[in-house]
Amino acid sequence: MNRKQTGMLLSGVTLLLSLAACNGIFEGIYDEPTSETENEYGFIHVDEGSRTGRIYIDATDYTEWHYVDMQGKQVTTTPVDEAAPENWDFAVHRYDTKTNGAAVWESAASDFTSLPSPASVPSEAFVHDEWTTDRITVDMSQMMDGVILYADDYWNPCLSRWLDVDTSTMPPIYTLSAKVYLLRLGDGTYAALRLTNFMNDAAVKGFMTIDYLYPVE
Amino acid sequence: MMMKQILLSLFGVLFALQTQAQHKISGTVSDAAGRPLSGAAVSVKESPTFGTVTDAKGHYELSLPDGTYRISVSFVGYDPSEKNVIVDTQSRKLDFLLSERTTMIDQVVVTATRTPKLLKDVPIVTRVISDADIKRVDATHIGDLLQTELPGIEFSYSMNQQVSLNMSGFGGNSVLFLVDGERLAGETLDNIDYSRLSMGNVERIEIVKGAGSSLYGSNAIGGVVNIISRESQEPWSVNLNGRYGAHNEQRYGGSVGFNQGRFNSMTNVQYTSIDAIDLSKGTDNAEVGDYSTIYGASTLNVRERLVFTAADGLRFTARAGYFFRERDASGSIKERYRSFSGGLKGNYAITEADDLELSYAFDQYDKSDYLIPNSRDVRDYSNVQNTLRTIYNHTFADKHILSVGGDYLHDYLMSYQFSDNGSHTQHTADAFAQFDWNPHRRFNLIAGLRFDYFPEARLSHLSPKLGVMYKADDCSLRASYAGGFRAPTLKEMYMDFYMGNIFMIYGNPELKAETSHNFSLSAEYMKGRHNFTVTWFYNLVDNRITTAWNQELAGQVYTNMAPLQVAGAETNATGKYPCGLSWRVSYAYTREMIEKGQPLLSSTRPHTATAHLAYDKAWKNYGLSLALTGRYLSGVTCDVYTALTSYEETVRQTYPGYTIWKLSLVQHLWQGVDLTLAVDNLFNYRPDYYYSNSPTTTGTTCSVGLSLNLEQFFKSK
Repeated sequence: MNRKQTGMLLSGVTLLLSLAACNGIFEGIYDEPTSETENEYGFIHVDEGSRTGRIYIDATDYTEWHYVDMQGKQVTTTPVDEAAPENWDFAVHRYDTKTNGAAVWESAASDFTSLPSPASVPSEAFVHDEWTTDRITVDMSQMMDGVILYADDYWNPCLSRWLDVDTSTMPPIYTLSAKVYLLRLGDGTYAALRLTNFMNDAAVKGFMTIDYLYPVE
Repeated sequence: MMMKQILLSLFGVLFALQTQAQHKISGTVSDAAGRPLSGAAVSVKESPTFGTVTDAKGHYELSLPDGTYRISVSFVGYDPSEKNVIVDTQSRKLDFLLSERTTMIDQVVVTATRTPKLLKDVPIVTRVISDADIKRVDATHIGDLLQTELPGIEFSYSMNQQVSLNMSGFGGNSVLFLVDGERLAGETLDNIDYSRLSMGNVERIEIVKGAGSSLYGSNAIGGVVNIISRESQEPWSVNLNGRYGAHNEQRYGGSVGFNQGRFNSMTNVQYTSIDAIDLSKGTDNAEVGDYSTIYGASTLNVRERLVFTAADGLRFTARAGYFFRERDASGSIKERYRSFSGGLKGNYAITEADDLELSYAFDQYDKSDYLIPNSRDVRDYSNVQNTLRTIYNHTFADKHILSVGGDYLHDYLMSYQFSDNGSHTQHTADAFAQFDWNPHRRFNLIAGLRFDYFPEARLSHLSPKLGVMYKADDCSLRASYAGGFRAPTLKEMYMDFYMGNIFMIYGNPELKAETSHNFSLSAEYMKGRHNFTVTWFYNLVDNRITTAWNQELAGQVYTNMAPLQVAGAETNATGKYPCGLSWRVSYAYTREMIEKGQPLLSSTRPHTATAHLAYDKAWKNYGLSLALTGRYLSGVTCDVYTALTSYEETVRQTYPGYTIWKLSLVQHLWQGVDLTLAVDNLFNYRPDYYYSNSPTTTGTTCSVGLSLNLEQFFKSK
């Protein structure tokens, strides 16, 4: 083996060893979980000018409702069996929803700009909450044994369509409707909501990212 | 006076021979696919001194006096061929096409002993899947191939459609998969990513069932599967291939090789993709099985291997690889799996009796989720293994081989299953020695011992091995004992995972190693064109590591389980005839025995069989290989817990058996052009209900493939 060949070989070995970090290589090709989605919850973006913004909720816990107050830009979390706060418009439990005396219409729009005027939507198209005894899951610990415990509570069947969970196959198939939902609130104003994600950056399900337009004029 | 007459006569004869007209016979020797065979021996039956060997282009030339001769051609790994020729007034052209030998008695194997040895001389039963078998099966990855070729092997699904292996009663974490002797990093539900093992550019696969821990350490309890890559034989070669099949299954591959001077390089690329499979299609049954859709997926596999011969007896091998797989797990997530691998190996033949190998290997296996709603690709798993190995062999008296060696492994694991997506690291080391004693041509004994040290688990382990072989004329008898072990993995020691927000799974740093004792007896009979092998085996496995419900912690905890016995037998019969016909039938019986009163949770099928019937024929410009292959798996009944949080009650569950046949036709249309047509699931089998161990077929399907070997376009035939 001549000097040139030895040199080439040694450079190759050095290159290979320097590449091979003990804890791996090419970390940079991945996205880092962002601090926005890791640490901040509630109304994480508010644009007063366009009346739009983003709500981020950690709804991983089966035993909590997250009450959203659109006027006061507040999210309040309480255990399922405790009373709701004084002011709220809609609430989220895992992927379930309920409203504070509101009614919901599912539009065909996938963004706020193509949402039709609320006045053009017939009143009877709006869907009210219904009382349920087999929707609000509070204990999944025995699910694999076929035992699931539910809380008796209100549930809005229309707004809850924002995420379809097909449990006929394991693991379930999750499909976002990607549609804008129009809420006719108790005070007669309108809010538009769109669920844009139900996972955090680490793909943990139950982290709800909701874009809103409020009030809708 | 007498002497003078004799000498005169001899001179006379010689003179006559000299003056007698000599004519040239020439031609090429090639394999069934038309590839030239370099170094094939060409001999003349009537006159052995006239022999020659073929050159790099498979060409030979003989000059013979007038007469009728029988020319014989032989080459290692191929059936010899003979032809008659009349040498008279003109030169003759005589080409030979050799068929690959199926018995492979002169095949060199390495897995059972870690030193190259002829298959017929290995005292541990080794099964080889040859290059020809791989081509015939037209498999994309190792799962397709192993299931088709070997009985007792089943790839099915575990949770979330992750692939899970059962080999003669042993799961994925008890069977060690190696590529050219190197381990693979990463696992999902106890199985490596089998789609990393694409079948492009594989020379052969060696399978040694039974414990192999005395040479390979942890995990080789149930067996070792070693995939051996091909080196470039031609001065240059370019292959392009593609296949299209049902469910929009596409496979494109290519390789570029060169073999010039001191350098030998092979670059291989393969891309595959398949759409989601709707299992309910064509049925009016909404609940067709445990799942209704098989996820669509795509893979990319790139590998480079460069061999540099620095001097006589000194070889360096460098390799690098990249693998990417993406699975459409839902409308919101694409699961991504990547690996980066590299290695450098030096082989030095110090003297004729001594050789040394030193190698370094790097393998990283990552998992990430690509979240479609926010277009982010976030990694949540990374296993990085850095390995240093050395082995030294010394040959005594040209026949006894002493091998000694050692390995060091740095194992890093970051996982979403650890607290706060954290990481753990462990360093492990081992030393081993093996003596291969050949006191008589009919008798061989091999004995080995290995010491493994796992400081993180605070355990060390000794793995012994003993194998003997007796060879009679047509028959070989083998017997072996081997100890196996599997150290608890970082995952099993440190898991801290809230499973689907439903229950916790806890690791257990106090786990003991799984251990096994493996006994095997085998008899092989070879006569003419037939080969018959029968093997009996028995395994006692203790301290099996699995998860069990812990009432106190209200979660699952990794625990050592009660002993399990796995026993069984395998038979294999083959035949190959000069007319081009060949066949093989293999059958395996596996029985698992658990302590009385314990439930038998494993769904290992007791009876499995594989068969093939093939016809290969080659003419000058056309060749064909027609093959019918089938596999049979019997039904199995096992126990299933009625509840996950209480191990009190079980119910009986029966999984039905099935048989699947495939018909394939490979046509060698022109030199270097192969067209493959295949009909899979020939008799349109469809499960009534898709269990996780049912075949995911939706009925009979077809595929078509084309392979071009460009270097052969430029060769004269």
